[in-house]
Amino acid sequence: MPRFWRRNRHWMTPALLLLPGLILFSLVILAASFETVWISLLDWDGIGAKTWVGLANYVELAEDPQFYVSLKNNIIWLLIFMLAPPIGLALALIVNQQIGGMRILKSLFFVPLVLATVTVGVVFGWVYDPTYGLLQLIFGLFGGTAPALLSDENFATFAVATAGLWPQIAFCMVLFLAGLNNLNEDLIGAGRVDGARGWRMLRHVVLPQLSQVGFIAIAVTVIGALRSFDMVAVMTTGGPYGSSTVLAYQMYEESIFSYRFGYGAAIATVLFAIMIVFIAWYLRGLIKAERSNA
Amino acid sequence: MAIDVTTLSTTRRRFLKGTGAALAASAASGLCLPALAQAQEITIISNLSNVGQRDILHRLAAEYEAKSGAKVTINNMDHEAHKTAIRSYLVVGAPDICFWFSGNRMKAFVNKGLFDDISDLFARENFKSVLGATTSAVTVGDKQYGLPMGGLLWGLFYRKDVFAEHNWTPPKTWTDLLAFGEAAKSAGMIPMSMGTKELWPAGGWFDHMNLRINGLDKHIALMDGKVQYTDPMLTPVFDKWNDLIKAGFFSPNHSSFGWEQAGAALAQKKAAMLDLGGFVRSAFPEADVPQLAYAPFPEVVPGVARYEDFSVNSIHVPANAKNKQGARDFLAYFYKPENLGAFLAAEGAIPPRNDCPPSKDPLVNAAVEELKKVVGTSQYYDRDTDPDMAQEGMTGLQEFMVKPERREQILERLEKTRKRIFG
Repeated sequence: MPRFWRRNRHWMTPALLLLPGLILFSLVILAASFETVWISLLDWDGIGAKTWVGLANYVELAEDPQFYVSLKNNIIWLLIFMLAPPIGLALALIVNQQIGGMRILKSLFFVPLVLATVTVGVVFGWVYDPTYGLLQLIFGLFGGTAPALLSDENFATFAVATAGLWPQIAFCMVLFLAGLNNLNEDLIGAGRVDGARGWRMLRHVVLPQLSQVGFIAIAVTVIGALRSFDMVAVMTTGGPYGSSTVLAYQMYEESIFSYRFGYGAAIATVLFAIMIVFIAWYLRGLIKAERSNA
Repeated sequence: MAIDVTTLSTTRRRFLKGTGAALAASAASGLCLPALAQAQEITIISNLSNVGQRDILHRLAAEYEAKSGAKVTINNMDHEAHKTAIRSYLVVGAPDICFWFSGNRMKAFVNKGLFDDISDLFARENFKSVLGATTSAVTVGDKQYGLPMGGLLWGLFYRKDVFAEHNWTPPKTWTDLLAFGEAAKSAGMIPMSMGTKELWPAGGWFDHMNLRINGLDKHIALMDGKVQYTDPMLTPVFDKWNDLIKAGFFSPNHSSFGWEQAGAALAQKKAAMLDLGGFVRSAFPEADVPQLAYAPFPEVVPGVARYEDFSVNSIHVPANAKNKQGARDFLAYFYKPENLGAFLAAEGAIPPRNDCPPSKDPLVNAAVEELKKVVGTSQYYDRDTDPDMAQEGMTGLQEFMVKPERREQILERLEKTRKRIFG
């Protein structure tokens, strides 16, 4: 036994240490993904018999107006969320200044990160309340009436995505703050010697060093926008009449409320296919970065 | 264990070996745990959101424990979350007793063989004689699959003081209703408080309109998917409903809040009436509850008999329960008139047994009296029709209330769904 171990430990130690994670990942992520694709080819109510229907769920999905509403809303989420990296960067640059009281300001900007997304959703729900909400108070100061954002089909998605944007900005800010702390002092000093300051310093010396962080911020934001679910569930439950659903929420609604697990799985599979494009792009970027560092 | 130099030099190896042994040991001991479980144990999953009812359930369980020596475990779940959880726990990890809804929602599980046939308990305790017609709510093909719990009679609720102040009486006919709406509006109030965020209140309003215009049989045919959503019989329902929407009867922005807020508007005298069940009281401050009064939904087409939504909750023994006999014995105790009466009084529901002590709650007594005048009952939109249809249907009805001009598209969409589900 000790000899066997001595001879093999160079590979067995890492293998043993990796094993729990690998088992969990393959069980919870990989097997579940494959099962989802499999279920999407079935007609199944979650309890009873499963019937093979081939691609019928996908055909129905292609004709489902609700699917296109969800898809459109996911794109709106994506576009709104794209504001998070630049705003996060701007905030990071501001709170990174060595000015008295900045620490307090910095921690205030951290707050939304500490809150659970559900809490953020509930709080923004109050802000948007057309009768008592903060928004109405502000409109009231100018003698106006706030629109009922969450019950208007044209505004609901924008209102929910804006609420989701708030913690996302804080998240991007934290990423950029970390990046700013790792700036190469030599390069900045060299830039200063060459007479770079203000905007030129930022544009040509600071930003290029943040490109790695920026890439991560964008990728995480894209994935965050696509998997948005909790905000929608808390703030509108997809309403009014399904106008603010996103793919993840529609999947949940079809499976859990309408008891159509096959159809829900088909939506999940489509969402997965969309996400994998971004994830592949993200992984490619990461691997590239690792190679260039090595 | 002696510690020598060699052990210290190979700590990591020892560590790995030791961890492996510990894991193996814990896995092996885990395997023998179930054998220690008590034989006489009853588990209950409840979905009660009413604190008073939960307390009474716990009290009854404790009393039963003392009396029988069995151990009763109650797991309480959030009411809405329970609706989804029940589908998995009935299949894997069923309790011995669970709460649910009678009628079609119960039937869905009976058809899948997930609820136990408790006809023997009915016979043993002679329940049919005290339940009367309510037995049918838990009967599928001559067999009983659950015990009916409290009933909710749906209708219009209003504040007595507000009506007295304005000298109003509850509308009895469609003309009355239209006139009442104008009066309420000129008094600066919303005629009908409504919050459709959770969709179902729109389904309830549809039920009441359809029952008053087409009657029970046609309504049930629609719920069973035997009538098309594009059928001309629904034209007057949506025409009349449209008139109310156009006249500004309902709460503005009703899709952004739920029934609690709609109930609060009634309590705060911002709205004149509200279409709901007796649980509306929970939106009222304690001191204002005596002001609350019930009025039936007004007649729409003269001559149509009085049909109402009357939903009955229920309690079941899952087919996969471990202790079915214990469950039956506990249910027999729980269902004693004095126990059931106390449990239901906390909710303000109508007891299904005719030998429960008379309620001290005037709202419950009024509902019991009203129920005697009702010719036939349905349960509620999302309890009467297929759950998939109900979800699509209530979404469509909410959309209709916001965008009545989209009526054609909505009904065509619902018809497409009906065809997919019922064929």
